[in-house]
Amino acid sequence: MNGLSWKHIALVLGAFAVVVLAIQTTGVAPATAAKSLLEGSMGGPAAWRQTLREMTPLVMAGLAVFIALRAGLFNIGADGQLVMGSITAAVVAQSIPGVGGVILGSLAAMLAGALWAFPAGWIKAYRGGHEVISTIMLNNVAGFLTTWMVAGPLRDVKQQSPTTRLLPPGSSLPNLIDSPPFKVSTALLFGVVGVVCLAFWLKKTVAGYELSATGANPIAAETAGVNVKAVTLKAMMASGALAGLAGAFIVLAFEHRFYANFSSGYGFDALGVALLSGGSPLGLVPAAFLFAVISSGTSALQLTGVPKGLSGILLGILIIVFASIKYRRSKLGDS
Amino acid sequence: MATVEIGLLVASTVTLGAPLILAALGGLTSERAGVMNIALEGTMLASSCTVAIIGLKSQNPWIALSAGIAVSVCLMMLHAVLTQAFSIDQIISGMAINALSIGGTGLLSKALLNDTDLARSPFLSVTLYWWAAVVAVGWLAFYLKRTKGGLHLLAVGNDPDKSRQMGLEPVKVRYLALMATGLLCGVAGALIVSNSGNFSENMTAGRGYIALAALIIGGWRPIPTLVACLVFGLIQASQLHFQGTQLAGANVPPEFWNALPYLVTLIALAGLLGKSRAPAGLGKP
Repeated sequence: MNGLSWKHIALVLGAFAVVVLAIQTTGVAPATAAKSLLEGSMGGPAAWRQTLREMTPLVMAGLAVFIALRAGLFNIGADGQLVMGSITAAVVAQSIPGVGGVILGSLAAMLAGALWAFPAGWIKAYRGGHEVISTIMLNNVAGFLTTWMVAGPLRDVKQQSPTTRLLPPGSSLPNLIDSPPFKVSTALLFGVVGVVCLAFWLKKTVAGYELSATGANPIAAETAGVNVKAVTLKAMMASGALAGLAGAFIVLAFEHRFYANFSSGYGFDALGVALLSGGSPLGLVPAAFLFAVISSGTSALQLTGVPKGLSGILLGILIIVFASIKYRRSKLGDS
Repeated sequence: MATVEIGLLVASTVTLGAPLILAALGGLTSERAGVMNIALEGTMLASSCTVAIIGLKSQNPWIALSAGIAVSVCLMMLHAVLTQAFSIDQIISGMAINALSIGGTGLLSKALLNDTDLARSPFLSVTLYWWAAVVAVGWLAFYLKRTKGGLHLLAVGNDPDKSRQMGLEPVKVRYLALMATGLLCGVAGALIVSNSGNFSENMTAGRGYIALAALIIGGWRPIPTLVACLVFGLIQASQLHFQGTQLAGANVPPEFWNALPYLVTLIALAGLLGKSRAPAGLGKP
């Protein structure tokens, strides 16, 4: 790889030192911590189940951020779009029992996510306001809105903490594989299929090409006859729809309800997955797996006395090191 | 409303507004120099945590404040190095710094502080910080308009290429600007932890983003930004004061007041509150 230099070597060494130091402050030997992280994420049936579960929404949410990034947009708002999708799916699947509710709930979640992304897309395309700022604002509004809904109108009064009622057993996404050591939801399959479809769509269709062209160089694309504003708005809304679908997956496949403070930082993880994909849709799957390993591994590490905060340190450093090598600013948008 | 109540409302507006002012000014020095900064949140949080830990270990509030500022400046120097020397996108760098800070403070506070320790860190009087905020606004307003250094900063933020041709060094100006951001966010973080008396995980609770919102509504200018911060402070203060009371016959949930600053900012971004005046060179290499 060209362009690598002593700067990058220093960065990697510094990153390594920070992780080792952070683990050392907790009083656990770094080698022991590394071992328990791997065991906690891939060392046995329960660990695998947890890792694959964490991975499932990340593939779809990563796909959401990826498609926006291809159009030159930073969708920091995946978090808000995802929770709006989750709460919508929970409400729809609650009121329509059975398979119909699952399907309609997923579609409604996509609609909710797309609508939540609309202001950001519109402001970016037609008002010139930065999408990062508008999506940060929308994330916070979504957080407060859903907190209020789940504490008020949608609350299951029989529960102590604010949550919606549990969905009936027939209203969940079935498992694709359910034989130890593996338990895989069909939602993961949908995610992987989505990745393959997107790869095909970007390569083989005019709309996919226009999207990439807009991201690579909006002025050139405009000159070549692409309606850059419309593509920007559509890309943002498509991204929101996919993030909403990821939110529906979490409710319909795993949680079976919506509760206050639902998102544990999915938006950040989704952005990380999209960045680590290295500019190729097929890279989203291993990237989501890596994030899932860190997430389930650091959860398991808590038992050995290393606080969960380690995952933030690991992910932050991972993104910095990767971005410094792969995503130098001049390269963003092309692959 | 009784005079006492108005007095209380003003006091809590200042209490809630002061950290926003300091953080927003930090955002201002960074963004007027052309560096997008969504890491205000994480930078403040890192300072809050450091002030609590070092305060406990040293029992000296001045050493604690200095340590908080030092950590905050280090994080902003990291932002400077990543965006200027490594050319990482400014948004990615900001996100990563926030993640590092939320994770790092979560880890360190759990590893180094326990519940009985938390209340034993000494803190400086909060009025000192209020004066710091007032001085910072006045000085920055003067500095940007009336000094050579301030004009260089604005020039770099408006058009880095042209300023380079004029003989300025954009990278150097940005390092200095981000150093100021670190200083201001460090003080803001120290104020937040002093206000509550102990550190708790993720205690900045989105104030960095509200500060960013105030900066945008204030059009990246010191005095209007100050006003926006005070308005946001007033919104939060009235939410605390009027909890449970009715407004125009309806119960307004606290979540509405919490979401209001973000909604107003969205409306401002949509250009419905007048033309947005973002620095022209924001985000450019």
